Amino acid sequence: MLTTAIIAGLVLGGTYALVAMGLTLQYGIARIMNLAYGETMIAAAFAAFVLKNALGLNPMAGLLLVVPAGFAFGYAIYGVMMRPLVARAGDRSALEIDSILATFGLLFVIQGVLLVLFGSNYMSYSYLNIPVSILGANIAANRLLALGLALTIGLTLYGLLRYTRWGTAIRAVAVAPQSAVLVGIDVNRAARFAFALGGALAAAGGVVISMYQTFTATSGVTFTMKALIVVIMGGVGNLLGALSAGLILGMVETFVATYLEPGLTLAATYAIFLALLLWRPQGLFGKATR
Amino acid sequence: MLEVFDLSLRYGKHLALDGVATNIERGETVVILGANGAGKSSLLKAIAGLVKPDKGVQIKLDGNPIAGLPPHLIPSMGIALVPEGRGVFGDLTVEQNLLLGAYSSRARSGEEARRRHVYELFPKLAERRRQTVNTMSGGEQQMVAIARALMSKPDYLMLDEPSLGLAPVVVTELFETLGRVRETGVALLIVEQNVRISLSVADRGYLMEAGRIVGEGTAAALRRNSAVQRAFLGMA
Repeated sequence: MLTTAIIAGLVLGGTYALVAMGLTLQYGIARIMNLAYGETMIAAAFAAFVLKNALGLNPMAGLLLVVPAGFAFGYAIYGVMMRPLVARAGDRSALEIDSILATFGLLFVIQGVLLVLFGSNYMSYSYLNIPVSILGANIAANRLLALGLALTIGLTLYGLLRYTRWGTAIRAVAVAPQSAVLVGIDVNRAARFAFALGGALAAAGGVVISMYQTFTATSGVTFTMKALIVVIMGGVGNLLGALSAGLILGMVETFVATYLEPGLTLAATYAIFLALLLWRPQGLFGKATR
Repeated sequence: MLEVFDLSLRYGKHLALDGVATNIERGETVVILGANGAGKSSLLKAIAGLVKPDKGVQIKLDGNPIAGLPPHLIPSMGIALVPEGRGVFGDLTVEQNLLLGAYSSRARSGEEARRRHVYELFPKLAERRRQTVNTMSGGEQQMVAIARALMSKPDYLMLDEPSLGLAPVVVTELFETLGRVRETGVALLIVEQNVRISLSVADRGYLMEAGRIVGEGTAAALRRNSAVQRAFLGMA
């Protein structure tokens, strides 16, 4: 039972980490607190569902369609909805407040469209639902695939941001936008790109989740909240922080559900969050001076 | 040649620059002197595209107008600014700061040679290439800022109060380095409170007061100028 719990925790945590990385990019670099983030994920989950059931396309191939679509969606939303807010906002905190209000509206628009199209039932499809035995524990292959995808995408992104000039420029925009301009970085373009990349990660997260979980048109909010907790735990804009914090949260939730009481998972999540805010408000890996 | 004609700039109702005209030749070192609030920083910021001047103004680089360009395009024109307060990327390492210095397409060719040259100019930075910049001293951070600007392959390097907050011995070292930068043919446009040391490296200078240019001349002439002596050099 312990092995099963650990692996299940890693799978859940990997998904949280993947999802939170997108949010931390959007918030840390574009300075937009996207409350419609979870809805973007769920829309991607439905897209994978439709591709699988209507067109018989397996979710791995679906990923190749849905992730670019998520990028395009983020890019368009930034251009249409966020650009005017950025142009108007005098400073970053004004932009944060405006973007929270705007994306709160967007949340209901996306959710409404999903409800009209798919109703409010729980949906799922069957993909790679075959047990694999690891150290005596039986785990569905789709969950292992989900974990593998989360780690691959997350670490690739981290590598790009950490070790390339392009990635360093994106990080520079997050920490010092005034200085980024001085070396010739187009801050607006970087912000738009980061926001779109966040959209792509949300889409990837949505598809990955749909591989092993049921979902409904209204379950986006839960994911936004959990992603937000992971982002704050990991430190805003910190990808490795998001990765570690996501894994921790997934493990804790799984252990509480397995050994204590499934009804307490959300309570445990918020207990960790609260303790963290009191003890290290800058996040586990954040720096004190932000 | 970098030329500014009739540059006026307002912050709200405050007139920060009032019909300023200056020019600087390639390879020349020009210092802008003036009290706090005389508009020296505003002039550099306007050239860097960071503040929008009033309409009709002309800033020309080799005869081509560059006023009104977005600020991120200015480094690719060969104009780099080291702002007041340095503007380094404190969370990044020395190496990463220099990598970003060469961000603009202009800076990519010969990047490796320029990096070596910059590390020769600032041997301390070569020893500390993997150190995070905000753990370094003020003087070292100023060197990072200048090194990063040099990585953009500038023809014109603008420095806003480079000596601010540095110990006298560090200031001396800094200006010695600027002297060597000057020898490589980069034109320097320096705004400085420390008049004595900045005049020692400069070819020419302008004197600013309340947003206007009120005097100009060679460095030697400015040193003899009675207004400069009274205001900045502590002579009666």
